[in-house]
Amino acid sequence: MTRILAMAALIALGWAHAPVGAAGGEAPMDKFPLTRSLDLPALQNGARVFANYCLSCHSANLMRWNRLADIGLEDKQIKEYLIFGNQKVGDTMSIALRPADAKAWFGKVPPDLSVIARARTSFEHTGPDYLYTLLRGYYRDAGSPTGWNNVVYPNIGMPHVMWERQGPREATIQRVSNDGKNAIRTVSVFDTAGQGRVTRETLKGAAAEHVEFSFKSADAAAARQFDADVADLVAYLVFMTDPGAGSRVRIGVWVLVFLTVFSVLAWWLNRTYWKDVK
Amino acid sequence: MSSSIANPPVDDGRRLAIAATCVAGGAGVIAAMVPLVDSFNPSERAKAAGAPVEADLSGLTPGDKMTVEWRGKPVWILRRTPQMIASVKSTADRVADPASARNAYPTPPYAKNELRSIKPEYFIAVGICSHLGCSPVGPLAGGSNAQLGADPGFLCPCHGSTFDLAGRVFKNKPAPDNLEVPPHKYLSDAVVLIGDDANA
Amino acid sequence: MGLHNTEYKGLLGWIDARMPTMMAEYKRHVSEYYAPKNFNFWYIFGSLALVVLVLQIVTGIFLTMHYKPDAAMAFASVEYIMREVPGGWFIRYLHSTGASFFFIVVYLHMFRGLLYGSYRKPRELIWIFGCLIFLCLMAEAFFGYLLPWGQMSYWGAQVIVNLFAAIPLIGPDLALWIRGDYVIGDATLNRFFAFHVIAIPLLLLGLAVAHILALHDVGSNNPDGVEIKDRLDPATGKPLDGIPFHPYYTVHDIFGLSLFMIAFFAILFFAPELFGYFIEWNNFIPADPLQTPTHIAPVWYFTPYYSILRATTTEFMLVLAVATVLYGVLLFFALRSGIGKAVVAVTTLVLLAGYFVLDPKFWGVVLMGASTLIFFGLPWLDQAPVKSMRYRPGWHFVLLMAFAVVFIVLGYFGTQPPSPVNQYTSMVGTLLYFAFFLLMPWWSRMGGFGPVPDRVSFAAH
Repeated sequence: MTRILAMAALIALGWAHAPVGAAGGEAPMDKFPLTRSLDLPALQNGARVFANYCLSCHSANLMRWNRLADIGLEDKQIKEYLIFGNQKVGDTMSIALRPADAKAWFGKVPPDLSVIARARTSFEHTGPDYLYTLLRGYYRDAGSPTGWNNVVYPNIGMPHVMWERQGPREATIQRVSNDGKNAIRTVSVFDTAGQGRVTRETLKGAAAEHVEFSFKSADAAAARQFDADVADLVAYLVFMTDPGAGSRVRIGVWVLVFLTVFSVLAWWLNRTYWKDVK
Repeated sequence: MSSSIANPPVDDGRRLAIAATCVAGGAGVIAAMVPLVDSFNPSERAKAAGAPVEADLSGLTPGDKMTVEWRGKPVWILRRTPQMIASVKSTADRVADPASARNAYPTPPYAKNELRSIKPEYFIAVGICSHLGCSPVGPLAGGSNAQLGADPGFLCPCHGSTFDLAGRVFKNKPAPDNLEVPPHKYLSDAVVLIGDDANA
Repeated sequence: MGLHNTEYKGLLGWIDARMPTMMAEYKRHVSEYYAPKNFNFWYIFGSLALVVLVLQIVTGIFLTMHYKPDAAMAFASVEYIMREVPGGWFIRYLHSTGASFFFIVVYLHMFRGLLYGSYRKPRELIWIFGCLIFLCLMAEAFFGYLLPWGQMSYWGAQVIVNLFAAIPLIGPDLALWIRGDYVIGDATLNRFFAFHVIAIPLLLLGLAVAHILALHDVGSNNPDGVEIKDRLDPATGKPLDGIPFHPYYTVHDIFGLSLFMIAFFAILFFAPELFGYFIEWNNFIPADPLQTPTHIAPVWYFTPYYSILRATTTEFMLVLAVATVLYGVLLFFALRSGIGKAVVAVTTLVLLAGYFVLDPKFWGVVLMGASTLIFFGLPWLDQAPVKSMRYRPGWHFVLLMAFAVVFIVLGYFGTQPPSPVNQYTSMVGTLLYFAFFLLMPWWSRMGGFGPVPDRVSFAAH
């Protein structure tokens, strides 16, 4: 029952419908498996991935460690497995990296991730879909400053932090654009060392502008496990953006039951008076 | 007909309907008030700031007092010398509440003993005078101060209340109660947790 | 002895002997206020508006206990309320859902006025107070929206304050004065907080009281547009078609309120952001003065007027010029007085000149303002011989529904990014919007009007 209600909440957030459509040159988004958000072990794994990989550069200043009790973790487990510094379990998930230093080193301060799953929702895509596709959309690009690039966010300043877990991949990116008269299809293939080969062909007539990409993994098993880990991580980010969502939906059911009963009583009361009005 | 419209009689049917709706409505209003009233309670941030504090006793020499902050209050940890412990045993007839029986600042069961502490050597108390809230000075040696007299102890500079080395207030002083002993427990021989005494 | 004679006993009698006003006003406004017995569904929205006003004030007070009106702390303080204050999320969602529902209720309340001619004589003043409440409500919502200090908050405020900068001559200085700084910043946040928390709520309360007092002095209208005070019971002196507000409409409104609460709480508990319309997604990004989001749109309840603003481009100025000339000609021949004709002619020429001298940006602001202010004119624009839509020709109702559709369509396109379809639809919508009002003196007089009954039409239920 709780799962149904929680799914209802996610649907209501607008995150279970198909996105309005990839506008122009935006990369098509993969759909984040929403039911992951209801799976406690997945959420706990996601919390671990988050603490291990993200929490050194990204802060989550609005989230307290002890709130992880909502996904079934005890204080002892949080302190032992997730908190690496000397923070207490009642502290917020802050980091030591100073914003000024981050700007100097990365060009941009890595955003705080407390509410990122909702912040990245737009008309074109839902936040979870965006995050799920972004984190799995890296490819080796020897020409970029970090050595990595991303199909969802070209020239992204964030390196592929989890590259070792994903294993090497070859990326093929097809872009169709219009130059006014004819459409041009640009195909870029990046091999596992990041060397890119670009071929361009002109198509007859105009065509809808769009981007397509595909990957070939050297280690299929690792890539599949990586996808699962990223799904868990995004599930955790969905939890973190609104930790109270589950209890809110549960309370809501009772409130509506009460209000229905109350409406019946109010209707009855109304009728006892209005039956005399001629 | 119009007069009964103006002041409609409340017959049994109406009375029941009114009662039922009022009871249900009242229940709903109270339920809605609960989160509003609850919002006054300490938030997670306040609770985190008021969380128990660990104190490391390894650097404390006999006769010395260290102070840690817990919930905005100074908590003293005094490492008592054998002479200090002896003086506590001798002040029993000169203090107002030798058995810590008073309940204004209830003394935890593990401190309801002659020395008001878990370990005789370490005396832990909130360093706030039970009179009007100033922080006493001390520990002062016996005979070093006219207000304190012959016994060693603590002296509150605001109105002259004095306490022995177990925090018990001397007779006929402005302060009515002994110094408060906060909930605490030893995590090890050298580490005490102030603010939490679960499974003490 | 100075005590008044009282019919009450006990504590009530003690108070009544010293302050007879209390029970006298209770009788006048509640237990002996005679309202028409034929109120329908459209008449719930006034009480609902009062309920939502109280809700916003109460939840606002509780939010102010935890919110920090400081640019560095505001965003985090809102999340603090959501996550860490016990029951904080409930209070915040009550306030955010309440804000959107306030506009839903008020728009439907105004629509009722259009349906039944509630703004017609002798109720023009009630309508004017109501329009002032509407303006205050928009200001209140605008100031309140800056407070979470998200990207939408910041850039929405930036855009709206820059509208004032579009005013010729004094614009930029005015915008600087409003902001208190060269850009929207901490100074702006603090003063908007003061406006939102106390200044406008006081105004709103005063206007709401005036609105209700003015209503009670004249008596409520009803779906038939019949004046119930014209048919009094010779025995009691009370309207034949009237019933005392208490208990009949108190129990009626409790039922209406319970249905309203089902809709309200369904959204609050299951979809508080309502797909990004009640709480916009961009507002989960802290305000960044150096980066504008790709799509800025005002909150949904401002989007119809925003569409009108965006529709006013250089292209549109030509259309506007033609429309102004045509309207000027119409007025010129409709008016009889020589002075009137002169004023119309001069105004038309001045406007024409202005259209091409001043930026379309300025005229967009003017049109946007006019689109909200034009409601004030309804009591004088509507020249129909009957009040209620029920006794007007069917096509009047069609026109009213068409206006509602235009309003909603303009609103929808206001949420969307600019596009050619958006542009042209908004231009057409703008023309239809103003045509509905400005041509009303003529179309409201046309057609066959049904015989208005003496007594209200009421089916016992």
